[in-house]
Amino acid sequence: MAFLRSRIHFHASSPRRHLFATLPALLAGLCLLSFCGCGRSIEEKTADGRIVLQYWEKWTGFEDDAMQAVVDDYNRSQKRVFVKKLTGLGEVERKLMLATAGGDPPDIAGIWPSTIPSFSEKGALTPLDKFIKEAGIHRGDYIPVFWDLCSHHGFQWALPSTPTSLALHWNKKLFREAGLDPNRPPQSLDDLEKMSERLTIVEIKRGGKLVRVRYPDLTTDEQKAKDFKLVQVGHDPQQPGWWMPMWVFWFGGNLWDGQRHITANSPEFIQTFQWLREQSEKYGVDNRRGFGASFGNFQSPQNPFFSDQIAMTLQGVWMYNFIDKYTPQMEWGAAPFPAKDPRAHPLVTIVDTDVLAIPKGAHHPREAFEFIRYVNQQGPMEKLCLGQRKFSPLLKVSDEFMKSHPNPYIKTFIELAKSPDAQYAPRLSIWGEYNDEMNVAIDRIMALSATPQQALDAVQGRLQWKLDRVLKRWDAVKDDRLKEWSDYDPR
Amino acid sequence: MRFLQRLLIYALLALGAITCLIPLLWMISTGLKPIEQTMSMPPTWIPYRSYVQKDGVLTEIQPADVDKYPAAQIVRKTAPRWENFKNAILAMRMFGTYLQNTLILCVLTVIGAVSSSALAAYGFSRIDWRGRDKMFLVCLATMMVPFPVVMVPVYCLFRWLGWIGTLKPLWVGSFFAGAFNVFLLRQFFMTIPKDLSEAARIDGCSEFRIFWQIILPLCRPALMVVALFQFMYTWNDFLGPLIFLTKQEDYTLALGLQFFQSQHGGTEWHYLMAASTLVALPIIVLFFFTQKTFIEGISMTGIKG
Amino acid sequence: MTQGEKRKLWVGLAFISPWLAGFLVFTVFPVCASMFFSFCDYDVLTKPVWVGTLNYRDMFTDSVFWKSLYNTLYYTMFSLPLGLVIALIIAVLLNQKLHGRSLFRAVYFLPSLIPVVASAMVWLWLLNGNFGILNHMLEWFHIKGPQWITDEKWTKPSLILMSIWGCGNTMVIYLAALQDVPRALYESAEIDGAGAWVKFYHVTVPMISPVIYFNLIMGIIGSLQVFAQAYIMFGGGGPNRSVLFYVMYLYQCAFDYHQMGYASAMAWILFLIILFLTWVATRSTRQLIHYGGE
Repeated sequence: MAFLRSRIHFHASSPRRHLFATLPALLAGLCLLSFCGCGRSIEEKTADGRIVLQYWEKWTGFEDDAMQAVVDDYNRSQKRVFVKKLTGLGEVERKLMLATAGGDPPDIAGIWPSTIPSFSEKGALTPLDKFIKEAGIHRGDYIPVFWDLCSHHGFQWALPSTPTSLALHWNKKLFREAGLDPNRPPQSLDDLEKMSERLTIVEIKRGGKLVRVRYPDLTTDEQKAKDFKLVQVGHDPQQPGWWMPMWVFWFGGNLWDGQRHITANSPEFIQTFQWLREQSEKYGVDNRRGFGASFGNFQSPQNPFFSDQIAMTLQGVWMYNFIDKYTPQMEWGAAPFPAKDPRAHPLVTIVDTDVLAIPKGAHHPREAFEFIRYVNQQGPMEKLCLGQRKFSPLLKVSDEFMKSHPNPYIKTFIELAKSPDAQYAPRLSIWGEYNDEMNVAIDRIMALSATPQQALDAVQGRLQWKLDRVLKRWDAVKDDRLKEWSDYDPR
Repeated sequence: MRFLQRLLIYALLALGAITCLIPLLWMISTGLKPIEQTMSMPPTWIPYRSYVQKDGVLTEIQPADVDKYPAAQIVRKTAPRWENFKNAILAMRMFGTYLQNTLILCVLTVIGAVSSSALAAYGFSRIDWRGRDKMFLVCLATMMVPFPVVMVPVYCLFRWLGWIGTLKPLWVGSFFAGAFNVFLLRQFFMTIPKDLSEAARIDGCSEFRIFWQIILPLCRPALMVVALFQFMYTWNDFLGPLIFLTKQEDYTLALGLQFFQSQHGGTEWHYLMAASTLVALPIIVLFFFTQKTFIEGISMTGIKG
Repeated sequence: MTQGEKRKLWVGLAFISPWLAGFLVFTVFPVCASMFFSFCDYDVLTKPVWVGTLNYRDMFTDSVFWKSLYNTLYYTMFSLPLGLVIALIIAVLLNQKLHGRSLFRAVYFLPSLIPVVASAMVWLWLLNGNFGILNHMLEWFHIKGPQWITDEKWTKPSLILMSIWGCGNTMVIYLAALQDVPRALYESAEIDGAGAWVKFYHVTVPMISPVIYFNLIMGIIGSLQVFAQAYIMFGGGGPNRSVLFYVMYLYQCAFDYHQMGYASAMAWILFLIILFLTWVATRSTRQLIHYGGE
């Protein structure tokens, strides 16, 4: 301690007393400085003075490469702007909303159309109508559903990039092994169920020995006891499980009336859920769970469809790419997924598309639209869609495109997209909640802890209540909003 | 009897210790396996390669071909796949950027937390001013306010400042002395005899000089504790980056790892485990080098709670 | 106030100014703003609209809100006492003259150090119904392990298990307190012929009761706010929302559904619940806590 004292003595007379007084001031100054130095990213320019456009996209891998090629072409084609693509964004929607709310959104965003209602009503997107009119683009240029997917409340909020429709993919080898005609896909949903049973193989103890048996060959008692392990399944509606509530389209139903009411407990929906529930009743809740846990990742050779665990699956036009990548030797086919009533609805499908939109508050909306417009020309669009091995959303398609397309079933997908039964997610701003709620209902019926009626009544009650609230609010601001949108002038 | 009792204690402790370690070992083990071995039944702990004798030479066989040979002929040799780590880093694509962001944040928040909470703790412990203890109670009470309560307004505040999508929301706050750190340092400051400051004051020393030249040097261990805790906190923080960061190039390691997992199309387990190991490893290493400070620090938090 | 007192006041305030500024900006303002938002309809991009107590009334009829509250309380009810007791047992075992004591301590502490993102990934893999090591180990005892992640009956136990794995932090705090218990107390108890259990119950527990109380309060605050591990492992809340915890639902409302007003109202209710439970814990343990050295 003595040495400490001496140190104090030594310093006590030094003239730096005021140091202490300045400290709070210094701190306050620092805060002020950091508060004022706004965090907004400074407008970026390239070395040769081009405007930099920020573009957020969700793709990875070869899909990303295809878009990058188009972006590169565009950057070469002119000298005014430079599109900088940021890619692989999971949860791009959430990130986009946060960034838009934060006042620093990208100029162009690749989003899903199902979010357009919510984003546009919340004022997070720029209406594109004026741009589209100037550019001379029309609905007639596109396969109609893909145009419609981009509009809401009579305004156009985005333009498509790469579209998809869904079809039944089946594994011909497994069909052959099951004694089914490998070239004849199921013709109706009941047909599919029957074939699915035939294609289902279980492992069961018989006489103390584990044997593999096809499901129809089990005795009635064995089927009832369900004391087996699923090894291979014909069709699992929960694989991949990305469109669960939309199974209702195959039963001729819909998710809402297009006006002010959702139809979650319609007879068609109950029928759909009954069908789902039968899966659990037939194969056993735990057996199905155990089977589900044995799957690898979607984009891997352990994908259940590639590893011969599932014989039939509802998938998009992209499936070809992954088959090609992970199991190129696989024998497979694609056909319309059959409806409950195939005569009334021969070509049911879900369509979706990636779209390019301009968030509200983007720094360069005009330049951003120039790029979107570029992508929507026939040449670049075909390059992009061919690169991602999808079909083009434009009606006009070159022979070259069709000829060089590697997917042998591409015509099926196009035909499906043009079908009157090409359906899509309801244009509701509460679709996110609706979908979440439906998936909870599905969890319940798959676990056999609720009847379809109970589960769906719960959804209907909760969601209609939510929709009423949203609509009430929308009615109050509707006129202002519509006026604001039609008055929007990019200049 | 006494011996038996001790044996029992050791056995219990060893069992518990193994339980604690299993998840970590499983993580490392999976991180070193090729993909087929992550999904094999029964699970293997040690990654291996299979070989058979072919013409007197031991040749490796591919996993797909293993079934073609009788089990007795197959020789397994331990072979950790170190390249998984490299591949995981490549698959995460921006690992370097994540690491850099995390380190920047760690450094800034550590500086912020140590300097600001030392000042505040000094004000709360070594100067007698009216209302001090009441104010300190208020300070302690702020620990009770759950983050979700302030989450939305703080988000709006940063939004108003235009800081969403920058690193600022994640470090600026640390320059405003968190209650927990203040509490920790105050505990320590109180143990230093009052005479020390009194003597200095009589000698005409300014309060700041006392703080800077007498108290702080004596409190180095406590400051280390605060620095360590803050470092850990920033390294591990998930909710903050999740809310405030929007661009991938700003992500921290924690968020980057979650992003890697939730990526479009999914991520394979061996890479995920390799990446998890990489995120956890620096903290484990840090712990082993600073164990004493760590344990002391945590012990301090509980005293006279 | 004398001149000296005044000066001291200013100097003191100057020193605590970083905290004070932070308190005003990051606590007082947000708490007030959150109060205000909770009476509004607010979606971030457009102006807040005053709706009175609508959000609070909605909460009462919102079944998901009740479910998330139930899930959170269920989790707290199990993970907290189990964690406290197991940590105490380990600490007591470790508080003896043992070989390799610091090694044991380090090993037990290690799990609580692992970044939550990493540990969530590890547990997700560990608990995989088919390839997870946990079910494999259960098989040694001829138990067929459940589908931890996809069966709604087992998702909460999974997370509770995981939280107990990470109780090393609590354990170290106990251990420090145990080391401060004067040896003399044990010795005099031994003279009175007390056995191990009596010593534990009548000496150890009262002596470290303030620390138990501290861990209890911290545990209540922490486990009611459980978020990260569940969010990473189960995203939207797990099968049939079985692990949709309070803060997860709050986060969903705020950042997925953009109902900032509703989220703020939920946050306030959470705050009240925490205050209430802390008050209950304090009331009911007041007589039991023994403040030794003060």
